[in-house]
Amino acid sequence: MRRRMGKLLPLFAWGSTLTLLAAIMTIAGYLLVEGMPALDRTLIFGDTPPLAALLLRRPVFGGLLPAIFGTIALVVLAVAWAIPLGVASGIYLAEYATTTAKRLLDPAFDILAGLPSIVVGLFGFAVTVFLNRHFSAALHPCLLVSSLALAFLVLPYIIRTTQTALEELPPAIRMTGPALGASRLQNIRMVLLPQALPGIASGVILAIGRCAEDTAVIMLTGAVAAAGVPRSLLSQYEALPFYIYYISAQYTDAKELATGYGAALILLAICLALFGLAFWIRKGLDRRALAHF
Amino acid sequence: MDQWKIETETLSFAYNGREILTNASTRFTENAITALVGPSGSGKSTFLLTLNRLWETLPGGSLSGRVRIRFDGQSHDIYEPGYPLDRLRRRVGMVFQMPNPLPMSIFKNVAFPLLLAGERDRAVLAARVEEALRRVHLWREVKERLNDSALALSGGQQQRLCIARALVPEPEVLLLDEPTSSLDQRAARAVEELLVNLKERCTLLVVSHYLDQVRRIADRVVELSDGAIREGR
Repeated sequence: MRRRMGKLLPLFAWGSTLTLLAAIMTIAGYLLVEGMPALDRTLIFGDTPPLAALLLRRPVFGGLLPAIFGTIALVVLAVAWAIPLGVASGIYLAEYATTTAKRLLDPAFDILAGLPSIVVGLFGFAVTVFLNRHFSAALHPCLLVSSLALAFLVLPYIIRTTQTALEELPPAIRMTGPALGASRLQNIRMVLLPQALPGIASGVILAIGRCAEDTAVIMLTGAVAAAGVPRSLLSQYEALPFYIYYISAQYTDAKELATGYGAALILLAICLALFGLAFWIRKGLDRRALAHF
Repeated sequence: MDQWKIETETLSFAYNGREILTNASTRFTENAITALVGPSGSGKSTFLLTLNRLWETLPGGSLSGRVRIRFDGQSHDIYEPGYPLDRLRRRVGMVFQMPNPLPMSIFKNVAFPLLLAGERDRAVLAARVEEALRRVHLWREVKERLNDSALALSGGQQQRLCIARALVPEPEVLLLDEPTSSLDQRAARAVEELLVNLKERCTLLVVSHYLDQVRRIADRVVELSDGAIREGR
């Protein structure tokens, strides 16, 4: 029996991996087949000349450029809010928190990670309405609110990955800095964080993907169907996930639906580019660590 | 008469409630090599960690008793409240069983303790790094690739690099936890020679499982058994 299990388990593991790989290939292939025909200059720039559109000299109507700019701005802003807060909280949990504090905070962050995004969106919307009524009428759903709500959504990923990456460092590495005279802060900054960087980077990559795909949060906090390229943090904006949702729900003909697939392909490309950027920054940090004084 | 450098007095240590050291009282002579021997799990490595308070970086430990170390002719109780740990650990260096270079360049690894202490003068850093690497006979092997990652060095080279790094702050005591266990015979012999040369300026405590090695390098042997100290030769 045990021998049979010993043969079956690797087979099952291989089968599962292959199924997953096949699913990914199928989705990517399907998107390519359906979306590629729609991918042309008009899909992105509409009738506006590309250079004038890219330099923001002329507005783009009927093209995805505002949604592309909106998505990139949204993801970059959300991750920029979430990284410092998330990494700092992860460091606190791994390096400073007492057992009691951990016992209280660990489940709290787990619950936060499990919050449905529509609830986070609703919370962001409610806070904005409250601030609008009681503090400033200038505050309304906009890019800033969406990015803050998304940051709140992805914070648990960054906190958890930072905490785990630090906690899993072996004692020998943990003691290297102090053995050479490093203070606790120096040890965290100069030894532990650089060693934990790959783990933290995987949390950031997860966060990027989550920010780029989320529709529920942005629907309630500032994304609209037609707003043009966002000019400030307080502008409403267009975003690719919202466009994909909108088109797939409201399309009138196959050509219009194909633009949704095209938008999905562009969204995937943006995600890949942002993942690449995250890897590149990580490599850069590694190189800096190696740099000669 | 030989002067003592380190004195432990009724030193007991427990980890997560399990007693590892029991009333360990002994003295270690200045500028000598003392080998700590004993079976696995007898508390040798833990004993070393109590001499620079490094055990405090890991959760779950508790200690009672006293450790006094003579610095500049004066006896210091290192467990006195508020005793500066960074200064203690610069004076009591440590080399671990497995080489633990940091993922940075060879140069930066060796200069690391100086950088921690705030030294930024490139000329001073370069001179101290070269001196430390020469002392461990590694300079000739790495002088052309100081900017390469220290992780690219062989095991023996990495361990010598770690010893060089521990020597950079000019420690008065060097604790070595089985420093040759991951090295081949030739590299181990090179490290042994190095340790014998170092005792002129350092007090060395070496945990070792190899009796031949102990015979070759130790001036005194201290045996630990079930957390208690038994004197050797």
